[in-house]
Amino acid sequence: MKLLVAVKPTFDIGQLKFEKDGTPMLDACPVSLGEADKCALEEAVRIKERLGATVAAATVGSSEAHYKAIRDSYAMGADEGYLVKADDPWRLDALSVASAIARVAEVTGPYDLVLAGSGAGDTHASVTGPMIAGILGIPLIAGVDRLEITGPGAVTGTCKLEDGSYTYEARTPAVVTVTSEANAPRIPNLRAILRSKGMQIREMDAGELGVDLRRLEPLRVGRYEVKRKGVIYKAEDQKGAAEASASLLAALRSEGVLS
Amino acid sequence: MRVLAYADSGSWAAQLASAADAQGGDAAVFVPGRELAEAAADLYPEVYFSELGPFEPVSYSAAFSEAARSFKPDLALFPCTNKGRSIAGLYSSAAGIRSATDAISLSARAGDSPITVRRLVYGGRAEAEFRMNAPAAVCMAQGSYPERGPRGGRGGIHEVRAPGPASSVDFRPRRGEGVQPDEADVVVVAGRGIRSREDLELVKGLARALGGAWSVTRPLAADQGWADSWIGISGLVVSPKLYIGVGVSGQPHHVMGARGSRIIVAINKDPGAPIFEECDYGIVGDLYVVVPELLKVLGGKGGGR
Repeated sequence: MKLLVAVKPTFDIGQLKFEKDGTPMLDACPVSLGEADKCALEEAVRIKERLGATVAAATVGSSEAHYKAIRDSYAMGADEGYLVKADDPWRLDALSVASAIARVAEVTGPYDLVLAGSGAGDTHASVTGPMIAGILGIPLIAGVDRLEITGPGAVTGTCKLEDGSYTYEARTPAVVTVTSEANAPRIPNLRAILRSKGMQIREMDAGELGVDLRRLEPLRVGRYEVKRKGVIYKAEDQKGAAEASASLLAALRSEGVLS
Repeated sequence: MRVLAYADSGSWAAQLASAADAQGGDAAVFVPGRELAEAAADLYPEVYFSELGPFEPVSYSAAFSEAARSFKPDLALFPCTNKGRSIAGLYSSAAGIRSATDAISLSARAGDSPITVRRLVYGGRAEAEFRMNAPAAVCMAQGSYPERGPRGGRGGIHEVRAPGPASSVDFRPRRGEGVQPDEADVVVVAGRGIRSREDLELVKGLARALGGAWSVTRPLAADQGWADSWIGISGLVVSPKLYIGVGVSGQPHHVMGARGSRIIVAINKDPGAPIFEECDYGIVGDLYVVVPELLKVLGGKGGGR
């Protein structure tokens, strides 16, 4: 079996800081291989260990973090790594990234499965996986918590969506996106990390792949301004809690949200 | 500007009708199933539907594309839910158009790059404004436009052809006790300040006393297994009249799932918890002391237990 995992470095948005004028300080924000992407890799490596497979990782972008995302994928057990070169990768639009990954799949495949994280920790658009399926014209199972190869040419995934749990069975090739609830990704040991440093990363040129990489041009990016009242009551002991409770409920009644 | 919405519930049909209205021009909606189509005909001048089985993204998106071929929208609107994002991704790749998610407002006008989208980025900690060319696909965040009422008059209803599902589907509806968080006026959410599964009773009791629903943050559901679903960007996105976070610290991915709430209340003993920066009312105190006091006051008016 051949498996391709689309990966990308992701900003740790909990640690994002802003300039005085509200501009996000991305350069100072830690960035690492996405949580859900790691879970997608983990699923791929588990399939490799159980059934035998080649696992390839692919990313779009030429920042140091993108090279590191491929090396981290190697350390987790990927056998091949592809990097589509792109300057200023943070502003690439989702359709461009999906088109590039789909071309990598066509050029280096055929693959039985294309996996991806169900959503990035920073943008969380969750559209790239579906777009890859749309471009390749193959089935999509989006947001799986549980993934199984259920036979030759068949994959089953269980997804928790808004109204309940869906179990899909698709013929391969298919695209499967994996949530960060699916598994606990392995932490590579030192030997795996050292080995990953010696592995080649195959760089690819978007133009040669026939992909036009487009970037988003935001007019403005700034801190989200919260428009909330921010009335705080202190409850240091039981008496304080009783007073705070009475004040809170009175306030909620005057807001008209409590009958 | 011609706007075609995708809606899989009455609430989303009504929210996206407001968003479409705000752009002027012609609006239409695609819904799965005749029953929803009949309801949506009060909201939109044109309604498209297909009879589809349980949700399967490829066939749903293909049916939507069929409606789009007929209506020829400049702008396609989707709910910013897990399902909506999948359909938007498939549709925009099929149509070769750009997409944006987590949009909180939208304005369309004539001319070049006519669609301006204000959207949340970086887990909702920042917002960005983009211009997009038409046609484009946009996922609207829950609660960013109010539900609109009937427009007077009935829209035309058209059935469109739908392919069979690309994968076989087995659907198990979410089971839950009582009123569900995405339908309730009041939602009480337990966070990591709740120390054990048994202690969830405090939160459930408060929800009962307020006639609302209870839910949890992601770690309590995904890591502890104390609930089937959670509030957050990867779970349920809610916009009740009243949200109360009990022992919720306010991680960005959780807050994004509740931002459409009219009033946000936080109870947390850590005065530095980020949720206090995003609440209307907060009590800094031990939830194990505060919640029983709240129940006492509520019990006094006969609403609680």
